[in-house]
Amino acid sequence: MNDIYSPERGAGAHEIIKVENVSYDYVSGEQVSRGVRGVSLTVRKGEFVVLLGHNGSGKSTLAKLLNGFIVPAEGKVTVEGIDTRDDKRIYELRAKVGMVFQNADNQMVASVIENDIAFGPENLGVPRDEIEKRISWALDAVNMSEHRRRSPNKLSGGQKQRIAIAAILAMYPDVLILDESTAMLDPKGRGEIMETISRLNKEKGLTVILITHYMDEAIAADRIFVMNEGRIIKEGKPREVFSDTEKIAEAKLELPVASRISAELRRAGLDIPFALTDEELAEGLCRLK
Amino acid sequence: MRDMTLGQYYPADSFTHKLDPRVKLLLVIAFIVMVFLVKNLIAYSAIILCVVIGTLVSRIPLIKVLKSIKGIIFLVLFTAVLNLIFHKGETVLWSWWRITISVEGIFFSLKMALRLILLVAGTTLLTYTTTPTGLTDGMESLMYPLKLIKVPTHDIAVIMSIALRFIPILSEEVDKIMMAQKARGASFDTGGIVKRAKALLPVLIPLFVSAFRRADELALALDARCYNATPNRTRYQVMKLSYRDVIAVLGTAVFLVSVIALNMNFWGAYVPPENLWWLFS
Repeated sequence: MNDIYSPERGAGAHEIIKVENVSYDYVSGEQVSRGVRGVSLTVRKGEFVVLLGHNGSGKSTLAKLLNGFIVPAEGKVTVEGIDTRDDKRIYELRAKVGMVFQNADNQMVASVIENDIAFGPENLGVPRDEIEKRISWALDAVNMSEHRRRSPNKLSGGQKQRIAIAAILAMYPDVLILDESTAMLDPKGRGEIMETISRLNKEKGLTVILITHYMDEAIAADRIFVMNEGRIIKEGKPREVFSDTEKIAEAKLELPVASRISAELRRAGLDIPFALTDEELAEGLCRLK
Repeated sequence: MRDMTLGQYYPADSFTHKLDPRVKLLLVIAFIVMVFLVKNLIAYSAIILCVVIGTLVSRIPLIKVLKSIKGIIFLVLFTAVLNLIFHKGETVLWSWWRITISVEGIFFSLKMALRLILLVAGTTLLTYTTTPTGLTDGMESLMYPLKLIKVPTHDIAVIMSIALRFIPILSEEVDKIMMAQKARGASFDTGGIVKRAKALLPVLIPLFVSAFRRADELALALDARCYNATPNRTRYQVMKLSYRDVIAVLGTAVFLVSVIALNMNFWGAYVPPENLWWLFS
């Protein structure tokens, strides 16, 4: 049951999401507010991609473009070759691109966890015994099996969000998008979610797109896209992106403490490498002569 | 308010808990009809017996049932008093202006109070022994004839399920808003009724704003989970009739027949003794 996702990953893997020069603005009456402008990106199968950006940078708009909640005014978004404008295949697309939102409470429809997780597969017309299997698999994937027959109300924030992730996983999506799903959680809850999604990505090969404004959540990413004012202003591996302190400042993001300290120390002339984590910083400091 | 996580559901492993929700719904409807049909006290005693047996079989603590009755005690007393003073009987005990208290009135108001209490005690047996999901699934299944005339029965069931799910969330939200208002000096438990009602207004507005915001995200979440993707939706929870349901239906049918027999004085088979007339009226 562990390998519903093929282990295909890395540079050779095929491109699962293609965003080509996409623009989208929110129009209400006379008022036009910026969504995204001229964004292009691709996500390969098995990748862990992070979209970083401040409030209003357009990152959530981009997320909504990926599963067809909104369709681009210009440009084109395709998922596994399906155009998000294709109304006839919209549910097929949404089953491929599962999305988890900010507030777990607002995503649950049933008062018992297993019934809530069954909701997605039921909507897709999955046969009953198959749904049974999927519930066990999805709960196991987020380490919540013992809560199967309980009510979601007594759970902690992190646990609720893990149930919301399981509810999406039960639809067997190709891509999991987390739209600010850690924003409302305490540090412990955020830790639980980060641990869960990186495990899903590493062990099960699930493609993950995490949308956040916390830079420390991006450290483990394969690739990072930094967004500001509707555009992607920086793209690359975590180390590349983090060390570009100018772009980070432009995007009004806050570097993790270790990176900030190491950047300041380097500026002051000390010979230490740019650090992403506390451990790296400690190691760099210890090596100083 | 805290312990309403599963509606009123009281988890236990009993005969009633295992019954098909559809059967329970139908039995409760039969029970309600029965309670409204019954006129004399002898027949009422049979219904009381029926409720007591039901509670015992369901392994629900008596205190839980009493609690549910406590919720309507004001209504019961209010109707009892109204019935007592306005019921027109022949054997008048005391009378002033339009108010008359008669022997018949006393029995009438007693029976009405009993009727209300039995209604609640009987129907809470359903909500105590059935999960909200079971209830909504059962209702959807019973609404099948409506589906044939294009009533969106599944949507109705999903709406009910979501409503049940959000009751505890919104009640928690009310607590939070009230605390926030209290922190800013608002007072909800002083003053007359009008003042208290006015004090609630600043709670209701943020509550509605938040509810709409939640509804927005919920709508997206429903779409993300492919709600209405296919007309051939499957179900995870299947309802199956078992021997238990047959027993429950037969048992209730026996009660139903005996209650009617008692109610109609065995179709007039005998004349009640003179001093016991009140039992049979």
